[in-house]
Amino acid sequence: MPDLRVGKMVPLLEISRAWLVDPVGEREGPGEVVVRDGILEAVTWLQGAEADGIGPDGVLVLPGFLDIHVHLREPGNEDAETVASGLAAAAHGGFTTVCAMPNTTPAADEPGVFARVAGAAATSGSPVELLLHGAITVGRGGERLAALGELADAGAVGFSDDGSPVKSAIILRNALLYAGMLGLPIVEHAEDVTLTAGAEANEGLVATILGLKGWPAAAEISAVERAIAILDSVRADAPGARLHLTHLSTAGALDAVRRAKAAGLPVTCDVTPHHLGFTDEWVAGARRWAWEALDGAGTARDPWADGALVARPYATACRVNPPLRGAVDAAACLASLIDGTADAVVTDHAPHTAVDKETEFGLAAHGISGVELAFGVLLAAVAAGRLPLARAVAALTVGPAAVLGARPGRRGAARGLVEGEPADLVVVDAGDRWRVTADALASRGKNTPLLGRELPGRVLLTVAQGRLAYRDVAGDASGS
Amino acid sequence: MNASRIPTPPDVAWQQKHLLDVDVLSLAEIQLVMRTTDAMKEVLARPISKVPALRGTNVTILFYEASTRTRVSFEVAAKNLSADVVNIAASSSSVTKGESLVDTIRTVEALGADMIVMRHGTSGAPYLAAEVFSGSILNGGDGWHAHPSQALLDLYTMRAHLGDVRGKKVVILGDVLHSRVARSNVWSLTAAGADLWICGPTTILRGFDTWAGRWASGGAPGHVGFTVTSDVGAALRDADVVMALRLQRERMDAGLLPSLREYAARFGLTRERLAVAKPAALVMHPGPMNEGVEIAPDVAVLDRSVITEQVTNGVAVRMALLYLLAGGHPEAVTNA
Repeated sequence: MPDLRVGKMVPLLEISRAWLVDPVGEREGPGEVVVRDGILEAVTWLQGAEADGIGPDGVLVLPGFLDIHVHLREPGNEDAETVASGLAAAAHGGFTTVCAMPNTTPAADEPGVFARVAGAAATSGSPVELLLHGAITVGRGGERLAALGELADAGAVGFSDDGSPVKSAIILRNALLYAGMLGLPIVEHAEDVTLTAGAEANEGLVATILGLKGWPAAAEISAVERAIAILDSVRADAPGARLHLTHLSTAGALDAVRRAKAAGLPVTCDVTPHHLGFTDEWVAGARRWAWEALDGAGTARDPWADGALVARPYATACRVNPPLRGAVDAAACLASLIDGTADAVVTDHAPHTAVDKETEFGLAAHGISGVELAFGVLLAAVAAGRLPLARAVAALTVGPAAVLGARPGRRGAARGLVEGEPADLVVVDAGDRWRVTADALASRGKNTPLLGRELPGRVLLTVAQGRLAYRDVAGDASGS
Repeated sequence: MNASRIPTPPDVAWQQKHLLDVDVLSLAEIQLVMRTTDAMKEVLARPISKVPALRGTNVTILFYEASTRTRVSFEVAAKNLSADVVNIAASSSSVTKGESLVDTIRTVEALGADMIVMRHGTSGAPYLAAEVFSGSILNGGDGWHAHPSQALLDLYTMRAHLGDVRGKKVVILGDVLHSRVARSNVWSLTAAGADLWICGPTTILRGFDTWAGRWASGGAPGHVGFTVTSDVGAALRDADVVMALRLQRERMDAGLLPSLREYAARFGLTRERLAVAKPAALVMHPGPMNEGVEIAPDVAVLDRSVITEQVTNGVAVRMALLYLLAGGHPEAVTNA
């Protein structure tokens, strides 16, 4: 399909001798797929001699990914990202559905903003589906509930004041009750801001040596425990209340969620690729993966002692909220994916302009542009033997779908390789590597500490709802 | 110069384009700075204490924070080397109009700066400046992070009285959490092999206990470990050097300490506390002092107080640093 343009229906695509992963059927192995007229016509699992030589280190065919936490910056900050550039970036990352956070200017606290964002998605021509979270409070100000019911009617899949926590406990309680009535989750950015005022980097060795104000793990843990306690208190009144804790970054917070889940509370959570793959060492100039920063006893190494510092310190691409943590917390994020404490991986894709990042570390905007790099980071963990491929794929597909409570039959809800449905899949060459450069990123936000480094896993093709979303012009899609 | 007191490896070359912190300096490079400072002290002892070493070199002193002693010290140092000196104070520059640091550095470069001595309130800012400036950046203090010229003048002053500081007990007493002086001194003193003790109330020691713990079984390559405690008596016992750090009033507002009075009573450097140190223990302070808070007035003026000597040595050390960054060789100073 040499002439096929983004947005057009895929007439015929045959992928032979690939490694298929189907998280709905909970199956992976050698196989072949055929897409005809945008429909996934055939999924064939190969057996015996036919399967020889096909492994998970070659071409992968996976369901299209779902990211329930991205920032697309439109309206209000189109220099950093637009809906169109954000959806193109998502497709390049293998995502066929993304859910945008409402912290735009103005905030998406009423349906008018939704209409504008949806209009931008429609005119972009991208087949990547855009879902929307509404704000919890008016202007994300934390004081009065936003138009939750109207936003739900306009299609909101959840509510969040992300970027900030809901400071007031009573507002958080009322939001859980009201959103529960609407059948939608509250997506909470858990942070006790009294512990993080002026904070710059994860509290610990790196922040101490670099003279950066510490950002304690307790700020996240105490906010998570508060939110869980409030959830527990509303359960009787609002059986539909659901709490989703996003971008958890500490072992303590994940332990709190683990306990709450064991107690049967309706709580879910997610972790990001950067919190499980990068560490606060990166602020000092290290660039090794988090799992390489642990010694045999499971304690964090000292990058000053072992020569791991390779880049200049204070790179603002490493400034993110919550901050990059130590290797032990990063390992806890990875472990939470394996044991199911974390339901999903989200990218928290946070594009920023060069102006907002090319500044002093403590003054730089928070966030990492990550939607194009997420699967590569997970594949690095897979390649290192730290994460089963099937878990990585589930955390990008069925996991986040379950968080939203997507019902079967709804568009994009299947997240499996289901014959007869519109094709929604990504083809990745796990055996290939690519260099992350500003030009290679479709996002306007080039703010990632991976810039200039190589990542495993080249996305060859992304098909969303039977239509072409991304095609690697240099690579070979193994199709016709 | 007493060559036997300061060992000088013959083949040491200055490798640094910038001086952003002392963490990157080997002990040999630190010794080179000490040796070059000796040569500068000789220059300062002359009737006309000026050499043409940096003639034609534009040294821009760009200070984003109010400072008198460090700024003047750098200015005197640069002028003693015959450099052309431009002073920019952030409050009177376009910074207040929202110009970014990167733009300011590019502008300063376009105006002819060969070297920038920079002070900034944000940790790490000189690293950003070094990335865009084609000349050399000399960090005159950044946030809580580093103050390399201060640490080197502190070390020089200690060596002038104690000889080699290896194994000597050096105590830094006070607000280390917010102190760039303390952080740079950790690097230089652990490189020099001193028995470094850091002491203060737990709220403003925070993080240093982690650091000391990580270095307990040997620090970074070329560095020894150090000790952190809130027990003033244990810290001061048999000390060879006691350096008090300034305590700022803002620390009370942030809820880190109950009161200046309580701090002075528990952690202030008094004659009584100093009595457990060695009889000739040096008293140091990077200034500016809060007399009666972190240091008693009668301690600051003891014979063994070297606080004003630190200021004098500061000029010589800064001359040495400017000279080395400009590509000079220590042997050539007196003939320059």
